[in-house]
Amino acid sequence: MTLLIGSLQLGLLYGVMVLGIYISFRILNVPDLTAEGSFTFGLAVSAVGAVSGHPFLGLFGAAAAGGLAGSFTGLLQTRLQIHPVLTGILTMSGLYSINMLVLGGTPNLTLIGKDTLFSLAVAAGGGMDKELVRLGLSFLAAALCTAFLALFFRTRLGLCIRATGDNADMVRASSINVDRMKIISLALSNGLIALCGGLIAQYQSFADINSGVGILVVGLASVIIGEAVCGRRFVTMGLVSAVFGSVVYRYIIAAATKADWFPAYMLKLVSALIVTLALALPAIREMLNVRRIRKAGKGGGADGIHA
Amino acid sequence: MGYMLEIHSACKCFGRGTVNEHKALEKVDLFLAPGDFVTVLGSNGAGKSTLFNAICGNFLLDSGQICLDGADITFMPEYKRSLKIGRLFQDPMRGTAPSLSIQENLALAYSKQKKRSFSLALTRKDREYFRQELARFDMGLEDRMETRVGLLSGGQRQVVTLLMSTLVPPKLLLLDEHTAALDPATARKVMAITHQIVERSQITTMMITHDMQQALETGNRTIMLDGGGVLFDMDQETRKDLTVDRLLDMYSEKKKARFSNDRSLLV
Repeated sequence: MTLLIGSLQLGLLYGVMVLGIYISFRILNVPDLTAEGSFTFGLAVSAVGAVSGHPFLGLFGAAAAGGLAGSFTGLLQTRLQIHPVLTGILTMSGLYSINMLVLGGTPNLTLIGKDTLFSLAVAAGGGMDKELVRLGLSFLAAALCTAFLALFFRTRLGLCIRATGDNADMVRASSINVDRMKIISLALSNGLIALCGGLIAQYQSFADINSGVGILVVGLASVIIGEAVCGRRFVTMGLVSAVFGSVVYRYIIAAATKADWFPAYMLKLVSALIVTLALALPAIREMLNVRRIRKAGKGGGADGIHA
Repeated sequence: MGYMLEIHSACKCFGRGTVNEHKALEKVDLFLAPGDFVTVLGSNGAGKSTLFNAICGNFLLDSGQICLDGADITFMPEYKRSLKIGRLFQDPMRGTAPSLSIQENLALAYSKQKKRSFSLALTRKDREYFRQELARFDMGLEDRMETRVGLLSGGQRQVVTLLMSTLVPPKLLLLDEHTAALDPATARKVMAITHQIVERSQITTMMITHDMQQALETGNRTIMLDGGGVLFDMDQETRKDLTVDRLLDMYSEKKKARFSNDRSLLV
């Protein structure tokens, strides 16, 4: 039961990060490696905020920090014309030092005994079940972010961003500054990812410099799982399915660890395999198709000779 | 009366100082009155698309000046010029965003100069207006407004693009062989729709085409480019009785004359 609720909580919280990945990966059409750094950036800022007695300010700070990291990547991509994948790597590497700096030079920080968003909510909930309050809070975070984005992508700015990932030429021809659109969407994407890092830090009352490692693959796996279940349709549906994918991903992990199929350190390999398989699926399908047609063609030819 | 488009001795040279040096535009002077519909002829490499690119701001001129409706746009960035200039390409895929619906594509173009960033992109009123405009073309597109544009045929996409670039009438419409990739029947249809739109809003238009007959019959003026310069500039009066054969003769005579001039310089 604890495992069931715990996975749901984590799935919803990480859903905020998956929304961010969805924006860069599906809407903007670039895999943005900044995520690995900005997640930890948010985690660190929020943890330091909570330690100094300002958990809410910490969360706002986390989102802002992520937005800053995203804009930086965006500037490298647009103004300085550096390859999109490389820009993410550059920001991510640089952020490692900054994250250490934020954490005060130590690789980890504990929030035990400090006020966090979650401990405050549990206290305010009075006699309510602690896990239920935490679940409610996670749900609220995911729902608010999803609703905000669903609304945002219906505005003119949101529409411009969607079109930018689709056909930048056309967006330019519609008198829209494409560079600005890219920077805004990367800021938004990384703001969400960092906010998620901030929430996670306060949820687990612990911040570690290596928390962000592999987060992009987790996000991609979640997006893909969500799409496999819900299909790829319109943008609102895509956002909901991203959060849903995140929850499913956590349940898969919970099931795998519970059943003891493999040790916990194998999880990253499994995630990477899921993403590889999902991305390779169209190509594999094509290969099988060509083989089938060839086989049928040969068979038909042989029949012709015998007749 | 002021001109809608003025181009003063525009020059552009690509790869200057290398063996591949290519003078794409050589002292081009061109003046378009408001409401002009100019057809542009010229062989491959004559500078037709380069001229359009210069007007749209894909690159800046080496020298010369471009004015649109009295305002100097020589150094204005591309995305700002496109507020006033509509452009269609030969490739129907270029003008639309495939994974957005027809109405979303139209909304993007429609809101380009009036709406604020955080207002709703597509109101009920807009939708009604788009439906009306699409219905004019009699292609059934008004009933498919929520269809993703990627699912439409080339001709349909070109019509959507045409509507997108004229929903807010531009000061100048540039058509770069916009029917060349379509089958003859669809091309005729798109051409008819082009006329309908241009005439209704009296848009100043330039159209590149390789069909000489069409070039002489369409609009009120024809120019022929060659080697980065204007070879002929014919208004309605001069081109009235011109046939394609006569035009071809004129072209080779002029080319010959030019060549012998060059020769006389060298020898």
